[in-house]
Amino acid sequence: MHEMAGSVPFIDLNTTTILFLFCVGFVGGLVSGFIGSGGAFVLTPGMMSLGVPAAVAVASNMCHKFPKALVGAIKRYKYGQVDLKLGLIMAASAGVGVQVGIKIQEWILQSWGQAGSNLYVSLTFVAVLVLVGGYVFYDAYRIARQGGGEKVSPLARRLAQIHLPPMITLHTANTRISLWFTLPIGFATGMLAATIAVGGFIGVPGMIYVLGAPSLVASATELVIAFVMGLGGTLKWAVNGMVDIRLTLIILAGSLLGVQLGAIGTTYVKEHMIKVVMGTIMLIVAVSRALAVPRYLTDLGLMALGPGTLTVLDKMSFLFMCLALVVGAVIILGAMWRAEVSGSPGIEATEESLG
Amino acid sequence: MDGKQSSTGWDPREAAAASLMAKGLSVPPELAPENRKILLVGQGARFTDSVLDYALNLADRLGYDLVAVNVGPASPAAGPLAGLKARARRAWFCAQASWAWRPVRKRLKAAGLKAEHQVRFGGLGEVMTVLHREKRRIEFVLNATDSREADMLGGVSLPVFTISTGKGEMNVTAEPNVRQVLGRTLGWGAATVALYAAVFLNSESIMGYFTRGGWYAALPVATVFLFSYIHGTFAHHLWEALGIRAPQQKVRPQARPARRQRPRPRLRLNV
Repeated sequence: MHEMAGSVPFIDLNTTTILFLFCVGFVGGLVSGFIGSGGAFVLTPGMMSLGVPAAVAVASNMCHKFPKALVGAIKRYKYGQVDLKLGLIMAASAGVGVQVGIKIQEWILQSWGQAGSNLYVSLTFVAVLVLVGGYVFYDAYRIARQGGGEKVSPLARRLAQIHLPPMITLHTANTRISLWFTLPIGFATGMLAATIAVGGFIGVPGMIYVLGAPSLVASATELVIAFVMGLGGTLKWAVNGMVDIRLTLIILAGSLLGVQLGAIGTTYVKEHMIKVVMGTIMLIVAVSRALAVPRYLTDLGLMALGPGTLTVLDKMSFLFMCLALVVGAVIILGAMWRAEVSGSPGIEATEESLG
Repeated sequence: MDGKQSSTGWDPREAAAASLMAKGLSVPPELAPENRKILLVGQGARFTDSVLDYALNLADRLGYDLVAVNVGPASPAAGPLAGLKARARRAWFCAQASWAWRPVRKRLKAAGLKAEHQVRFGGLGEVMTVLHREKRRIEFVLNATDSREADMLGGVSLPVFTISTGKGEMNVTAEPNVRQVLGRTLGWGAATVALYAAVFLNSESIMGYFTRGGWYAALPVATVFLFSYIHGTFAHHLWEALGIRAPQQKVRPQARPARRQRPRPRLRLNV
């Protein structure tokens, strides 16, 4: 490890570090290209476990996130899946959400210290992921049992009937809805991004179930939000000189390959596969974060566990995070493989969505 | 595919030109007979590559001219800023359509084809009616919209051929040239390797500048943009070279509004 630009230490790179970052970048990119987000939740703790300081890990991760999202968004725009208007509106409101999320974090940090803040983050993770991820997974399972074909959710249908000016027409998402219903979804996305670094876990389900966008469009539009927010975040960190461009470029080497494969994958598989992958990843990540809760409870003096047990739990927590990404990637590649072998279900899925 | 009988109609200019030719006189350019045309109609600001490939090949094979029309949505007239919004939306649509048509011009020039590109706004039926009145010698229509033939014509009598890119009727996907793809992959791959080598061989000095903060923040941001372009293009060609590409342009079809049954006057004879 060596010092550069004042007091921030940057790690020395070796083959293992490079391979690890490249592989996680690739798998994270694959998942992002497919469901619109993912990868960041493994990369930041992953880099920290390699000895990268937390601020540099977050900054370098964010600096790789926005170009990856840009490439993915362009690719999926070409497939006609991106609703640019929705993405920009959501990104603007997410920007406000991020600021509010940071303020809440700071307030919790001042009131309860680092352990309290960590506990808040983990509990938010678990609550959001179990509730939203569980519903997404259940919905995907229901659609799969019915043989595919997505329908607009009853909530989205009801909201679309409420004429509350200004109304916005979203051509790609194929809906007309009041702006006032899109803003809270963007705001919540930003809040979650500021809290757990993965806003897409609320943004994509929000666009699907509240705004009535198809999964394909929601996951593709999330990439636009990720690009705008990632660019803003990177500028903030880069102004403080926190970006380790070497780490960013190694992750980017893997993730640009992955994100394009994920984007191509969306044209191979049935639409509900996006929900399957998203629900599965969210539930496994929820388990991972639940395993991290005992440490924070111990730090706060609310639980008594030995250091050995806590270390095992920490390791298991990280392994479950990696497992979430790997399982997501395996489902995506498996679905693509099956689609390739059995012809092209993309056509079938499109026809079903008509009916 | 759907076909209907064409009604070419009587054209006074053609009749005048024919009469001049019959008398052995030279025909002035304004009366010269126009070439036959294919009308390519698409909704949205761009045609997919497969649709363009098909239309250009067909025009080339038949020796026809091409009239390509991007039909934009009619703007709903509501709200205080409706006019301004509609103008901005139309301008944006026109800019997108012209931008998307730029590479096609090169192909047309290379193939020696005559083509005209237009942007129209409104319902497909209205646009078709106007085009049918304005353009002469349209032989048939290539329908690259989501609408059915009967819905799009708006009462105009012309044969219609539907090109569907993803809904099963007629998937037209052009296979890329293998040598071209390999060449591009290697070229962009070499550029990517060169960029990575440049950064990692000078990582000490690069890190020194990139972590200074302040205005130097532009350096890492510009670098990742450059890498995402070069490496992103390489990744695109790499997957294509490996045979992994989108099976079809999968654009989600817009739900078709239910057709309104308009009352029509009918002639009845009571005898």
